[in-house]
Amino acid sequence: MNLNINFTLLAPEILLTVLAFVVIIMGLLISNKSKNMLGYISAAGILASIVYIVGNGMIANVSYFYDSIVVDPLSQIFKLIFLIVSLMAVIASIEYFKDNHNQDEYYALILMSTVGMMVVASANDLIALFVGFELASMSTYVLAGFEKKNPASLEAALKYFIIGSLSSALMLFGMSLIYGITSTTNIPGIIEFFKTAPLMAESSLGLLAMVFLVAGFGFKMALVPFHMWAPDTYEGSPSVISSLLAAGSKKMGFVAAFRVLVLALFAIRADVQFVFAILAIITMTYGNIVALSQRSIKRMLAYSSIAQAGYIALAFVVMTPMSIAGGIVLALGHALMKGGAFIAVAVVGYMVLSDNKNAKNIDDLDNFAGLGKRAPITALGFFVFFLALAGIPPSAGFIGKLLLFYSITVEAISLSSSWLLLIVVIAILNSALSIYYYARVIKYMYVLPPKGEKIKEPAAYVVAILIAIVGTIGIGLYPEPFINMATNAAQVVLGV
Amino acid sequence: MVGLISLMILISLAGALITFLAKTREQARTIAIITSGISLAISLVIFSNFNSSISTIQFLESYSWIPSIGVTLKFGLDGIGMPLVLLANIIIPLTVIFAWGETKQANRFYGLILLELTGVMGVFTSLDFFVFYIFWEIVLIPMYFLISIWGGPKKEYAAIKFFIYTHVASLVMLLAIFAMYFNSLDITGKASFDMFQLLKSYQVMDGDLIKGVISLKDAVFIGLLFGFIVKMPAVPFHTWLPDAHVEAPTAGSVILAALLLKMGGYGLFRVILPILPYSESPSIMITLMAIIGVVSILYGTFLALAQRDLKKMVAYSSISHMGYVTLGAAALVPLSVSGAMYQQFSHGLITGILFMSCGVIQHSAGTRIIHDLGGIAKYMPKLTFIMLLGFLASLGLPGMSGFIAEFLVLVNSYFTLPTFVILALFGIVFTAGYHLWAMQRAVFGTYNEKLGHIHDGANYEIASMAILVLLVIYFGLNPNPVLNMMTVNAEQLLKYVVLRGVIT
Repeated sequence: MNLNINFTLLAPEILLTVLAFVVIIMGLLISNKSKNMLGYISAAGILASIVYIVGNGMIANVSYFYDSIVVDPLSQIFKLIFLIVSLMAVIASIEYFKDNHNQDEYYALILMSTVGMMVVASANDLIALFVGFELASMSTYVLAGFEKKNPASLEAALKYFIIGSLSSALMLFGMSLIYGITSTTNIPGIIEFFKTAPLMAESSLGLLAMVFLVAGFGFKMALVPFHMWAPDTYEGSPSVISSLLAAGSKKMGFVAAFRVLVLALFAIRADVQFVFAILAIITMTYGNIVALSQRSIKRMLAYSSIAQAGYIALAFVVMTPMSIAGGIVLALGHALMKGGAFIAVAVVGYMVLSDNKNAKNIDDLDNFAGLGKRAPITALGFFVFFLALAGIPPSAGFIGKLLLFYSITVEAISLSSSWLLLIVVIAILNSALSIYYYARVIKYMYVLPPKGEKIKEPAAYVVAILIAIVGTIGIGLYPEPFINMATNAAQVVLGV
Repeated sequence: MVGLISLMILISLAGALITFLAKTREQARTIAIITSGISLAISLVIFSNFNSSISTIQFLESYSWIPSIGVTLKFGLDGIGMPLVLLANIIIPLTVIFAWGETKQANRFYGLILLELTGVMGVFTSLDFFVFYIFWEIVLIPMYFLISIWGGPKKEYAAIKFFIYTHVASLVMLLAIFAMYFNSLDITGKASFDMFQLLKSYQVMDGDLIKGVISLKDAVFIGLLFGFIVKMPAVPFHTWLPDAHVEAPTAGSVILAALLLKMGGYGLFRVILPILPYSESPSIMITLMAIIGVVSILYGTFLALAQRDLKKMVAYSSISHMGYVTLGAAALVPLSVSGAMYQQFSHGLITGILFMSCGVIQHSAGTRIIHDLGGIAKYMPKLTFIMLLGFLASLGLPGMSGFIAEFLVLVNSYFTLPTFVILALFGIVFTAGYHLWAMQRAVFGTYNEKLGHIHDGANYEIASMAILVLLVIYFGLNPNPVLNMMTVNAEQLLKYVVLRGVIT
């Protein structure tokens, strides 16, 4: 337990926290008209953090604050995910909220939620983990309801808030049980304790703690059966916030599960892997099947996001370095694809509202007819994101799925286990199934005739979508550095 | 330094992207013709520097891509791939010229055509199974759009049927590829998708997929075969083809028949023949392939005979002609196999003429129903002349390239598969029959006045068809430039067959 006073590696968190306060204070001082600049400032701060993390510490391994915060490859790659998502969300918000007078609160909340997610990524102590979770959740509750006059947005926020609080309570209860068993909140300490006293983990108390933790993280990850809030929330929230929620805050559950569950609990109880296999299979199948019948694109994206969480959860099934690396690459890819797709929905909303100010159901499939002609860049974005989500090469979605399925197959062969092979087959069939609902939207965009004139796509949206397109295809074309980063992170997860 | 093959692929890909961004139709088609012309020039450079007396891979290039799972960008050409790359580079510029008058969303139309060129060249040159599969799938997407945007009245149904049919087949093939990959990983301990490595490891594959029912070897073999013959297509997996052809625009049909079908045949030579002698029961597999080949020849012929739509008739004739490829490959005689390869090359050229003829007729007469046509030779003399040459080539007139291919296949397959060849011979009679009968009803005879005044094909259409006709005649009189390299590779392929004693 050393007190490390060299905080340079925490500079991004510090920068963003300070920036959040600066944005709020500036909001008080400047006129409503010039509040647009706050978006640019926030984007610049996030961009600086990304550059800093990439430049300075992808492979660092330092701990701070009496070992409650660590900076290691696992935390860094997830921070990168969160930062990229919030960068896209902020850039798109510059357009989305340009006429809103409360932009100062809005950007401050986005920055705070980003800091919360980053704390979760770095947390090495259950308390720090919980604080990070709450910081991110509280901020996003408000963000989800930020369109105050839109009942759907309020409903989304309320549902998200109630279920989110419940999941926080469950998680906290699980943590208190763990503390009761091990008398420490330090994660490596917990692991150490369970290793020396494996019987405690097998006790009914240990089992109960694990169930609560799985449920708590499961709510964040939106795994079936903890998913009910996700479609309503993603559908009702402002599209840019849906992008932040689906692409970013969902990954908090995964990084927490990687850090806490994998070592502390799974290492001792092998049958938990089986539980996660079932959860993953049910989640992806449910998500894909329900997505088939959706006409609201945001709902379809929400269910597809549930399905993707199912794929990522496959990483917990075999827990080899490669499977966890695959899960992380898919999480990174999903952040780009889903984040980009929700922002592209925002463009469609902009387009529909500029046709008709009082339009309802702006994300209805019918509004996508002829999008390829009306908004070519947005349509291209959807095309890339959807094919990537379906796992078509060369894309980040493809590489992530490939690594996951591949690693499970290798494990199945080396253990000659037929149920693992069965899981791969089900997952592949799921991918094939998902092509249907993605291809349907693509058909609407490119084959059906347009319903209106070509629009000028706002520059902010275009920039955000292009970031996501370049990232999605870039990882697909040149995956090796990302696989290496994810493999480094996976070694942290497995304690190698 | 980028090698010639990847340069060719990159140029066509870049051309496709630039064409998508083109503002006007004029720009789009100019870029398309220039790009495909450059690609043709490079392929001619490769062709003229190609040593056709050796069977090894030439112009080999290799770049590391995803080393963690053993994926390498490996490209190269031998006597199997070279003629098809040449074919692709001949067909695409001519298709662009033929479709010079396209007005609907021209930038996308020409861009998708160039993307097809990228895809098929990738398939014919990649020597890494993973990359091969990616290109194999890339080819599907532009064709889906070509059918579903520029197609006929039932275009959406046809496009999705095409996509699902061939995509499912590709997935089965992918499973087989992965089985071979993991098998190779198990044996060598090295992760690699190298095509030759995987094919070599197949020789010592063991285990069962389902105990007592089917061995892993047979399952992999059938999975790969399924992936290829659906693409060819062979009866009974052919039903997507007529729908796709009838609805597709002419350029789409030409590319589909001349290039995409050839991917299936290419798979037979590149993948199936090297592993055939090592499969669990080669003689059953040979019989299976021979039956598929002969049934395709006969069934395709009879269906063609019964068609009312000229284009559908040509589509069924493709199925029939591709049957010769399967039959020749299954016969496992050096000259029958090289005949089958030559049939691929020759059918690619001939079918281009046939589909373009259908396109011109549709365009000027407004219908392709044979019954509604009649005597159009009166107003379309240029088309009639070229179409007649194309039909004669298609029915196997000596002096044209189709004759050489079918002659080689039939004569040499007789050594090993006499019964099947005798059955296939019946097909020849009917092949001649439906071609001539269709010509007689649709083109010659008294003019059907209901058609009103029709005009001959546009000059650019006639020109691109005329080039194809000249090539068909040239390769009919002098097959050696491509046949030699095919024979060398066929002999190489069959060494293993003799070694294993499958055929004495």
